[in-house]
Amino acid sequence: MWLARMKRFLGFINREPESELPGIVRRCEELSLRSDDQLKIAAAAIDGNPEVIEVFALAAVIAERVLGLRMFDVQILGALALQRGHIAEMQTGEGKTLAAVPAVIWYALHRRGVHVLTANDYLARRDAMWMSEIYRWFGLSVADLSQNMPAEKRRAAYLCDVTYATANEVGFDYLRDGLVRSPGELVQRPFAFAVIDEADSILIDEARIPLVIAGGVSDDPALAYRIDSVILGLRRYADYFPDDFARNVQLTDSGINRVERALGCGSLFDEGNLRILTAVQDALHAHALLRRNIDYVVKNGSVELVDEFKGRIAQDRRWPAGLQSALEAKERVALKAQGRILGSITVQSLAGMYERICGMTGTAATQKEEFRKVYNLPVTVIPTNRPVIRQDLPDILYADKRARNRAVVEEVRKVHETGRPILVGTASVEDSESLSRLLQLAGVPHSVLNARNDEAEAEIVAQAGALGAVTISTNMAGRGTDILLGGNPPKDRQQAVELGGLYVIGTTRHEARRIDNQLRGRAGRQGDPGASRFFLSLEDALLVRFGIAENPDVDSVQRTAESQNMEIRQTLWKYESVIEHHRKEVHALRREILLSCDWSIASMLPEEQYAELAEAAGTDVLETAGRRLALAVIDDIWADYLANVAELRGGIHWVSWGGRDPLYEFLTGVQEIYEDLHWRLKEEIADAFAAAELRDGKFRFPNEERFERGATWTYLTTDQPFGTLSERIAKGLRRKRARR
Amino acid sequence: MQKFFDAFANIFKIPDLRRRVLFTLFMLAVYRIGAFIPTPGIATNRFEDFFNRTAAGGFLGYFDLFSGGMLRRMTIFALGITPYITASIILQLLAVVIPTLEKLQKEGEMGRRKITQWTRYLTIALAIAQSFGIAAALQGSDGNFVLNPGIPFILMTILTLTTGSAFIMWLGEQISERGIGNGMSLLIFVGIIVGLPTAIREIYNHVFVIHDWAALQLIIILAIMFAVVGFIVLVERGERRIPVQYAKRIMGRKMMGGQSTHMPLKVNAGGVMPIIFASSLLALPQTALQFPVVKNSVWLSNMFGALAGNAPLYYLLFIVLIVFFGFFYVSIIFNPNEAADNMRKYGGFIPGIRPGKNTADYIDKILSKITLVGGLYLSILALIPQIMISGIKLQTLPLMGNFIDAHFPRWLLDGLGVRFYFGGTSLLIVVGVAMDTINQIEAQLIMRHYEGFTPRAGRIRGRRSSF
Repeated sequence: MWLARMKRFLGFINREPESELPGIVRRCEELSLRSDDQLKIAAAAIDGNPEVIEVFALAAVIAERVLGLRMFDVQILGALALQRGHIAEMQTGEGKTLAAVPAVIWYALHRRGVHVLTANDYLARRDAMWMSEIYRWFGLSVADLSQNMPAEKRRAAYLCDVTYATANEVGFDYLRDGLVRSPGELVQRPFAFAVIDEADSILIDEARIPLVIAGGVSDDPALAYRIDSVILGLRRYADYFPDDFARNVQLTDSGINRVERALGCGSLFDEGNLRILTAVQDALHAHALLRRNIDYVVKNGSVELVDEFKGRIAQDRRWPAGLQSALEAKERVALKAQGRILGSITVQSLAGMYERICGMTGTAATQKEEFRKVYNLPVTVIPTNRPVIRQDLPDILYADKRARNRAVVEEVRKVHETGRPILVGTASVEDSESLSRLLQLAGVPHSVLNARNDEAEAEIVAQAGALGAVTISTNMAGRGTDILLGGNPPKDRQQAVELGGLYVIGTTRHEARRIDNQLRGRAGRQGDPGASRFFLSLEDALLVRFGIAENPDVDSVQRTAESQNMEIRQTLWKYESVIEHHRKEVHALRREILLSCDWSIASMLPEEQYAELAEAAGTDVLETAGRRLALAVIDDIWADYLANVAELRGGIHWVSWGGRDPLYEFLTGVQEIYEDLHWRLKEEIADAFAAAELRDGKFRFPNEERFERGATWTYLTTDQPFGTLSERIAKGLRRKRARR
Repeated sequence: MQKFFDAFANIFKIPDLRRRVLFTLFMLAVYRIGAFIPTPGIATNRFEDFFNRTAAGGFLGYFDLFSGGMLRRMTIFALGITPYITASIILQLLAVVIPTLEKLQKEGEMGRRKITQWTRYLTIALAIAQSFGIAAALQGSDGNFVLNPGIPFILMTILTLTTGSAFIMWLGEQISERGIGNGMSLLIFVGIIVGLPTAIREIYNHVFVIHDWAALQLIIILAIMFAVVGFIVLVERGERRIPVQYAKRIMGRKMMGGQSTHMPLKVNAGGVMPIIFASSLLALPQTALQFPVVKNSVWLSNMFGALAGNAPLYYLLFIVLIVFFGFFYVSIIFNPNEAADNMRKYGGFIPGIRPGKNTADYIDKILSKITLVGGLYLSILALIPQIMISGIKLQTLPLMGNFIDAHFPRWLLDGLGVRFYFGGTSLLIVVGVAMDTINQIEAQLIMRHYEGFTPRAGRIRGRRSSF
C-alpha cells in the first residue's frame, strides 16, 4: 500500500509544474506543423495511459485549430497544476475555461469519467458546447447536465468521458441514486475525477449548504393555515418581540395567552402540543422576520428564497420544512409537500467522494490554509500572462453609510461624465437597490444585476466594459464571464483604454478578502488598465462586528474575520465528519445489496428463520424479496437516523450549560443512534418476514405500499434560515437607520 | 474489558492521536524533570522537614498538592500552577462583576483569546508577588533556610520561581493545544499521581518489612480506597437532566428513545473549588493561633482552639462552608434566568412549563436541591479521610463530653491512626481529570471512526414495534 502511496506522491505531487512546460512548448511547435487529420489520428491514438506532455501539447495545438485561441504558457501552467490535483489560482480574464481543457482531457483519457463542476447551469452548457470540439478530436464524449433533465439523459451524460454540471446537480443525482430500488435506475458511475471551476465559491462558500432529498408523507396543510390566521391577530411589541438584529422573535406572555385562547389547545408548552407550538413558532418567524421581495419573492404561485449574499433568487433552495409551509400559508399560495428528509449531503462531502479533485479560481491564495486542511488541496498561484497594471487605490473611510453613499454617487457621477465604464459592487440586494435609487436621483443611467437569469446576467456583465456603462452588481453576480473593455464585441476598446479602463468601486469590505479581490479582479484583465477603490463606512457589518475602534487596519480586521470563519467551519466539520462516515457505510451496504451477487438476506436474518423461509418459498424467491425489503428498510431507518441526528444536533448546545463538552456528547450520541440503526435494520427485516404472507410464490409484507418509492424532490436547505450573525447585524443596523 | 483494550490500541493506530498522546507524555516528563531542580540558595532538606512539620494540611498543603510536592522541596517549579489557577479564578469572578469582561467572554474565540492573554499577565503578576512572599518568608524565618540572605537572594528567587511558573503555564497550554486533555488539569493530576509509588512502598514496608500493620488493615484500606473512587465516579457522572423540547424544524416519523434533548445539571458543578475555598478560610484560625497575642489570651486561644482541626465545631463549620461555597460557585457559573432566556430565544422550553419566569424558577429549584446534595457529597469526601485519621473529638463537647468519652467507640473519637496517602480532594481531582481526558480521547476516536471506551454493547434494549 505504501508503494502505491509513494508512487502517487512522486507521480503527482513532487514535480514542479514548471518542469514540464518547456517540453510541452517544444512539442507544440512540432505538432503545429501537422495537418488536421494527422492531429486527429495522433489524438485518437492516445490510450489509457496518457503522457502529460503529449496530451497537453496536442490539446493546445488542437485548441488553436478549433477555436482559434492560442494557449498562453500560463494557461498550460494552470492546466499542469490541475493535472497534479492542485487549486490553480488564475486571475480573471486569463482564460480558465480553456486552461482546464488539457487537464480534463488527461483525466478523461483514463476512461473513468471526469466531472467539470461549474457555478451554474448556464456556464455548464456554455463551456461544454464551447470546448466540445476539442474533446471530439481526442475521441472523448462530452455532455452537460441541467435541471429537469430526464433520468435517461442524465445517465447518458454521466456515461460521457467529460460531464459538465453544477455541483448541486451531481449531488442531487447522488442522493437520488442512493434511493433507487433496482440497479437499472442508477444514473451515476462511481466518482473518479472532478475539476472544479470557481473552487473557492463551491468548496468554501457553498460547501456547507446541505442538499436534501425528501419524499413521502406530507404535513397537515390545514394546520399551517389555521395557525397563520391566529398569528395575523397578534400585535408586534405587545404579543411578540423580535430581537435587535431580527434573528429571532419570541411570544410574550400575552401573546402566549392569545394563541392558547384562539386555538383552544390548553397550554402550548404541553408535550402533546409540540406540533402546534412548532407551527406557531414558524408562523411567527414567517410574519415577523421574513419580508416579501427582500428575503423572498412570490413568483408563479410559489415562494422563492432570495440569496442575500448572491443577491438573487436562490434556485431550488427552501427554508427548513415548517418555515417554508408557514411562509406559503402567509402568502396564501399552495403548500409544497414537505415529506421527510430521506437523504442529505453537503458539497464538501460530495467533493470528498472523488478519487481526486482539483480546481481553479481567481481567488484562492488567501484561503490556502483551509484548502489544505479541509481538502488536502495545495494552492498554486499561476502568474498572469501580462503584468496587472490595475491601480488599487487606498480605501476611503466614512463615518456612516449615508456619507459613504453620497460619496459613491458623487464619484460615479464625476467619472461617468468622462465616459469611463464603472462597476459598483455591493454586498446585498438591498444595498444595490438603495444605491440604484440614489443614482437615479442623481440622473446617472445604470443597470442593476440582481435578477435570477444567468444568461441575461452574463450578457449585462459582458457589456459592463462599454463606454459610459454604469453597472451595479452584487459580489457574486456574473462570475465566469469576462468584462471586455469597450463592450462585447469591443468596438470602443481604444477609447476605453485611454480613459483608464474599467473603474471598480467597492461599497463595503466583505469578511473574506478573496471576495473583495474577486471584485477588484473585474478590472485590469489581460494587462488592461483599470482601477479599483473601496468606499467604506464605520457602519459596515465587518467593522461593526469586529470592531474598527481598536484596530483601524481593515486588512487585519479581515484576516481576523477569515480565521474566525474558518474556525467555525472546521468546528462544524468536526460535528459532521462522523455522520459523513456513517452515510458512506450505509451507502456502501445499500450498493452491495443492490449490485452484488454475493449478498444474501441470510446476513440479516436469524439462521433458523432463514432456513424456514428458504424451505417455504425457495431461495430465489426469498433472496429477491429480501433485497427489496432490505433496501426499503434501510431507506426508512436512514431517514430516521437523519431526523434523530438533527434533533440531537439542534439541542446539543444545552449540554454546555451543564459543563459538558457538546462535541463529545454529540459524537457519542450519534454513535449510539448509529448502533441503533444496525440493530433496528435486522430487527425490522426479521419482523417483516415474520409478518409476511407467502402468496402465489411471492412474499406479501404488511404495509406493502411503504416499499414503493413514492415521489421525491430535491432542494437545498439553509443552515441558518435567518442569516449569519453578521448578516443580521448588518440588516438590523440598516433597519434602525431607516427608522430614524 | 476487551473493548477498553481495543480502544487503547486504536489510539496508537491513528497517527494524529498517537502524536498527541506522545506529545502530552513528553510535556509531562519535562514537567517532572523540573520538579527535581532545586531553587538556588536554599537548604532544601531543612526546609522540607520544616514544611512537613508545620504546613501540611492547611492552605499551604493545598498549594503543595497542586504543585505536586514541589513547594515542600523548593524546586524551580515551587509555585506550580497555583498562580495560573488563581488568575483564572479571579478573572472568572471579575467577569461576573465587570460587564466588559462578561461581554468578551461571550464574544467567541477572539474574546476568549483576549481573556487568556489577561490571565497570563495576571499569572505573572501573581507569581512575582508570591515568589517575593516566599523569598521574604524564607529569609525572615528562623529556620536558617537561606544560605546567603540579602536582596540578591530575593531577586534571584523571584526570577527563578516566576520563570518556573510561566514555563509551567506554557507547558499546560501546549498540552491543551497540541496534546490531549486539559493541560493545567493534567499537570495537577501528574503532581498528585507521582505520590503513588512512594505510598505503595510505604504501605509495603508497613505490612511486610516493619510488620506494624496487619494484612487485614491493608485490605480495609484498599477496600475503602476503591469504594471512595467508585463513589466519586458515580457522583461525578451524576447529573439531573432537565428535558428541553424545542420547536423542531425537521420532521421525523418517529423518534427513538433516549435521544431527547436535555440540559444536564451536574451534581457537583464546582468540582474541588468549594473544598479549597472552605479549607482556606478555616486555616485562618489555626494560623491565628500561632500569633503571640492569641497564644497569651486564654479566651482567644480557647475560641480559636475550638475551631482547630478535628474539633466538632471545626467539622460543622467545614460542612457549612463547603455547602455555602458550592452554592456560591454554582451561582457564578449558572444563572437560571439567563438559561431560561436563552431557552426562550432558541424556541426551547421545558415540557409543561411556561417560558420565562416559570422556567427560571423551576431550574432554580432543581439547582438548589442538587447543589445541596453536591455540597454534602463534597463534605463527606473531604471529611472521611480526616475522621479516619484522627477521629472526631466529640468528648470535647460541653455537658455530654464525659458520657461520650465513656461510651463511644474509640475509633470514632481518636480515629484509626491510619495514614491516608490520598485525601478526598486529591482523589476527586485525579478522578475528574482522568474522566475528562478519557472523554476527549474517546471523542477523537469516534471522530476518526473508531469505537470509544464507553461500553454500550451490554445495554439492554427493548424491542420496539416496527413499521
